[in-house]
Amino acid sequence: MVDLTRAQESPAFPAVARPTVAWGRPKPGFFGLLLLSVTVFYIFLPMIAVFLYGLATTWTNHVTPDGYTLAHWRDSLADGRFRVVLGRSLALAIGTAVLDLLLVTPAVYWQRVRNPRIRPVIEILAAIPFSVPYAVIAFGLLPLSGTYAPSLQGTLWLLLPAHAAVAFSFAYWAIDSSMAASNVVGLSEAARTCGANVATTLTRVILPNIMPGLASGAVLAFGVSFNEVALVQILCGNRFETVPLYTLNLLKSTDADFNSLAVMTGITFAITLVLSVLVVSLNKGRAAAGGTTDAKGAPA
Amino acid sequence: MSTITIEHVSKRYGDKLALDDVSLNVHSGELIALLGSSGCGKTTLLRAIAGLIDPSAGRILFDGRDVTAVPTRMRPIGMVFQSYSLFPNMTVRQNIAFPLKVRGQSTAAIARRVDELLALIGLGEWADRHPSQLSGGQQQRTALARALAPDPAVLLLDEPLSALDAVVRLHLRDEIRRIQQSIRTTALLVTHDQSEALAVADRVVVMRQGRIEQLATPASLYETPTTAFSASFIGNRNALNLPVRDGRIRLCGTIEIATALTTPRALVFVRSEDVRRSNDASGQAATIENRIFEGSTTRFYLTIPTDDGPLHVKADWPSRETDELRSGDTINVVIDPRDAHVFPG
Repeated sequence: MVDLTRAQESPAFPAVARPTVAWGRPKPGFFGLLLLSVTVFYIFLPMIAVFLYGLATTWTNHVTPDGYTLAHWRDSLADGRFRVVLGRSLALAIGTAVLDLLLVTPAVYWQRVRNPRIRPVIEILAAIPFSVPYAVIAFGLLPLSGTYAPSLQGTLWLLLPAHAAVAFSFAYWAIDSSMAASNVVGLSEAARTCGANVATTLTRVILPNIMPGLASGAVLAFGVSFNEVALVQILCGNRFETVPLYTLNLLKSTDADFNSLAVMTGITFAITLVLSVLVVSLNKGRAAAGGTTDAKGAPA
Repeated sequence: MSTITIEHVSKRYGDKLALDDVSLNVHSGELIALLGSSGCGKTTLLRAIAGLIDPSAGRILFDGRDVTAVPTRMRPIGMVFQSYSLFPNMTVRQNIAFPLKVRGQSTAAIARRVDELLALIGLGEWADRHPSQLSGGQQQRTALARALAPDPAVLLLDEPLSALDAVVRLHLRDEIRRIQQSIRTTALLVTHDQSEALAVADRVVVMRQGRIEQLATPASLYETPTTAFSASFIGNRNALNLPVRDGRIRLCGTIEIATALTTPRALVFVRSEDVRRSNDASGQAATIENRIFEGSTTRFYLTIPTDDGPLHVKADWPSRETDELRSGDTINVVIDPRDAHVFPG
């Protein structure tokens, strides 16, 4: 085998000192690292401050808290209202994620495999939550539900589909891109020629191959619902207090416990951070796994 | 094994007619190659036979039974796709077992059949690998084994070798033929590669614009194409557009072809290997414009002066016998009129 890393001598091309080429990921320089550090500091400084505030006895005259205590975390987690709000938000977000998966997955599969012509319609629907403010959607839902289903007003059963509707876009793009990467049309046709019916095709071929996309979609829908406040406030108000609404109410109250607020913000941020990391890692896994099997892979 | 009868099948996509009144009989145990350029309808025909698309008109029969309205999963077929479409979440063994599992076969029967097929395709050591861990050739063989697993009456192969490199393609081409002959299943192979079609098929269907241009054995198709398109598509032929005068076409010099054509011009096809060198003074003088070494043969681009202007032809000659020839040399060539195929121009 020829050693390509060594300069080969020949009369026509005398050996010259050549720089060693290190193949692979380029290493960041000093300014790159500096920029990265400043960015990370800029993003995390407010969160560090909030986290420290949740642990502070008082924080008045110094750059750092005057003292540290776990009392605010203990009191907040022991507070019945706090736990109910947290539980309610988690339940709503999980419900939204599940509902979106149940609605979006078969719809996108049907569009891709059976009816590609409806794709523009679905894309327009998916763009609505990005282009229309949630408050407008909420004020649109109020008269609509008042006309056709007044009993739903102020209940979870109006809020849940509303959240599912606005989180639909996020679930749609995640699941759709996953189906495209997995070549679901080809897989479905292959399954059909193997004798599989639709249910078998979905459960044993399609869903296992788009699992990262489903997980990403679910996580994104969960995150949208968990952090949404406009729809909650307009459609349900304090009858269905969620974490963002609870935080808002605390801020508005005259005897606001800002340490408790910091605890709640810390928990919300932690959940959002975990979800974000989950999405990134799931998509990384998908990119590494590859979707199709077109003459790629190991050498013959 | 099963016979396939295709009766007046058409498929329309809007204004475009992808299949235009196609009729074909495939005998039991026969391998038919559907050959044509992109968009000629060969894959559409295969997908109609698989039930993946519904014909706009006509019928498809397996062993005389009309299966036109039968869903794909109920048809006795196995299919290999151009991109293989192996299930990435399953190992080689699981991929091959899948059609048997969905048919509700017992675990023992599935294991036995999968082992048989793994031995047939020579992938026993790779049985527990996932498709992403296999080479293109191994994926293709896995796809073939999966298609053969339920012992289908009809095997459909949609350009199964097109994504492979040349060496692997040649090897697997012969392997597909060997396996198809050993199990004697009726098979249809879609390809745009004429050498692949000629090498593996019992009969070749040349398709063009949704219609069957010619159906013949490989040798017959090669030797006696019945249409200008077939002649231009099969073999490396010179296509010469020449005038017809008094029932004769003058190829060059004294070489003439008698013809019954009444058209003012004719398309004359002469295979490049049928343009022969003449070692004596007979024949027609030709100038070598260019030469391209292709291994065992070398292709020569020649110009032959005629009364109607220069005639440009290509000739394939054994490399070992033509080593001394260079561009610019003048040589004598002969063309036997019996080697020419003439069609209206």
